[in-house]
Amino acid sequence: MTPAIAVEGLSKTFRPPFRLKKVRAVRSVSFTVTPGEVFGFLGPNGAGKTTTIKVLTGLIRPTAGRVAVLGGPPTSIEVKARVGFLPEQPYFYDYLKPTELLDIFGRLFGMDRSTRHRRIHELLDLVGLAHAKDRTLRKFSKGMLQRVGLAQALLNDPDLLILDEPLSGLDPIGRKEVADLIASLKAGGKTIFFSSHILADIERLCDRVVILDRGEMKAEGRLDDLLAGGRWEKEAVVRARPGGAPPRVETWPEGTRVEEIDPATWRVVTPGEAFGPVLQRLVEAGFEVVGAGDRRLSLEALIMGLTREASGAREVAR
Amino acid sequence: MTASGVAGAARGLFGLGASWTRVHALALNTFIEASRNRAFVGLGVAAVGLVVSSIALSQLAIRDQAARVLVDFGLFAISLLSVVIAVVMGVILIFKEVDRKTFYLVLPKPVRRSEVVAGKFAGLLAVLAVAVVVMGAAWILSLVARDVPVNPDMIKALVLVWFEAALITSVALFFSSFATPVMSGVFTLGIFLVGRSVPLLDELLRAKKGVLVRNPLVRFIAQAVTDTFPDLSVFHVGKELILGVPVGWDYVGGVALYCAGYCVFFLALGMLIFRRRDFV
Repeated sequence: MTPAIAVEGLSKTFRPPFRLKKVRAVRSVSFTVTPGEVFGFLGPNGAGKTTTIKVLTGLIRPTAGRVAVLGGPPTSIEVKARVGFLPEQPYFYDYLKPTELLDIFGRLFGMDRSTRHRRIHELLDLVGLAHAKDRTLRKFSKGMLQRVGLAQALLNDPDLLILDEPLSGLDPIGRKEVADLIASLKAGGKTIFFSSHILADIERLCDRVVILDRGEMKAEGRLDDLLAGGRWEKEAVVRARPGGAPPRVETWPEGTRVEEIDPATWRVVTPGEAFGPVLQRLVEAGFEVVGAGDRRLSLEALIMGLTREASGAREVAR
Repeated sequence: MTASGVAGAARGLFGLGASWTRVHALALNTFIEASRNRAFVGLGVAAVGLVVSSIALSQLAIRDQAARVLVDFGLFAISLLSVVIAVVMGVILIFKEVDRKTFYLVLPKPVRRSEVVAGKFAGLLAVLAVAVVVMGAAWILSLVARDVPVNPDMIKALVLVWFEAALITSVALFFSSFATPVMSGVFTLGIFLVGRSVPLLDELLRAKKGVLVRNPLVRFIAQAVTDTFPDLSVFHVGKELILGVPVGWDYVGGVALYCAGYCVFFLALGMLIFRRRDFV
């Protein structure tokens, strides 16, 4: 199956105006997006996310590496006809009404008049802007503009959606609506590649993620695997009888450790394969097991950890 | 022709049609932008005011010179303001799209960068056509109001003014494909001024004495300029209108080809640069 996006050894170097020194925005980034998945693109500001997205949409050319979108070069007319793109903080022709903007973009997609008319009204209903279709875009709020951005990205019923921070600028209700829309597009078989700072939304929507930091790829994979930190661990939350001591696990299976939650409650973390015997010992020792499950890092902790590791490595290198 | 040849030709024709649809969409957007821009509308009002003011100016002329002033000054005002519109709009349009990042929405659509430049050019041609028609109508009305005979050659003169503005637009778009608006404006005005001075240079080159005879380097540069820069005097037939010398459609056709040649040259260069540009 042809990947929706295949990036291999992508590097992009800029020379800022009036400066001799070049800036390496992205270095040797490689990843693949499978058709039908929601792929998250994560990283702090300046990580190279938007630069990569600009390469994927043909706005800039890579300095090195290969990029294929839907099996072809990102600048190909045939490829672009199957892609929908929402840039970060989209800027519009503010002298136009949303219907006029979508009509001009519909013409660029080669849609006939009746298709344009039908699609424009469908999309304005979908993004909740039907009531504002006769206002010029300069009178729109940031959240409304974000919705227009989504409508134009969906205009051609694309196979691949590239969304740069699609949930920013929206109020909580708007965020939920857009997140639901992304989920329904995924259910409809669309491939979605999106970057976001909002970790909860990435956790909720993405099958796989890439994490970038200062232009370098720090991690790629299934979100569950990354959050497990490469280890399969389980945890049990236990409570002691009044006045009871914490579990003594020194002689228990290797890797078992105890974290205090409060003076009478502890979290016992153990390698996945040893969880059964550990749970049995806890019950035998008289602890009340109040919860159990897979041990996961929070996405935030994972990103912080990865970027801290990178900073540490840089410090050592100095 | 084989079946694959027919299919290829059909694809080619379809591609051309699709390309025209995209250029038309981009031109339409450019036209709407200009028509809703207060500065452009203000410029249009000023232009009509300037043409109409030639009536007042003609009152000051010696009695038998009034018609000459009305024809000459009116046509000069239309030409000057068309060129101002061409330079301002041509220089600003692409820069504004880059600066406001509206290109981020357009370029990822199934459109070639050359079509974006062509669309801007076509839109500006339409804007200039409207400007010349409005100013021309005001000019002809001012002539009728002062009982100056109106003839079809005046329409040809307006068409030639539009051609000149089209050429200047292509120059402005070329420079704005890589330079800042100020630099593009300066370069475009430079080409405009040199283009208007080509007949003068030509005359100096043919003179028996003067700096162009004494200094071979200056002579070489002047010769190169007259050979390569567009001669903008070909777009001006004010003298012919005043003297009653007919302006034939064959002359207008020849000037159209001359103008088209330069437009294609500057636009092709602009497209080439624009195609390689990164939108950071």
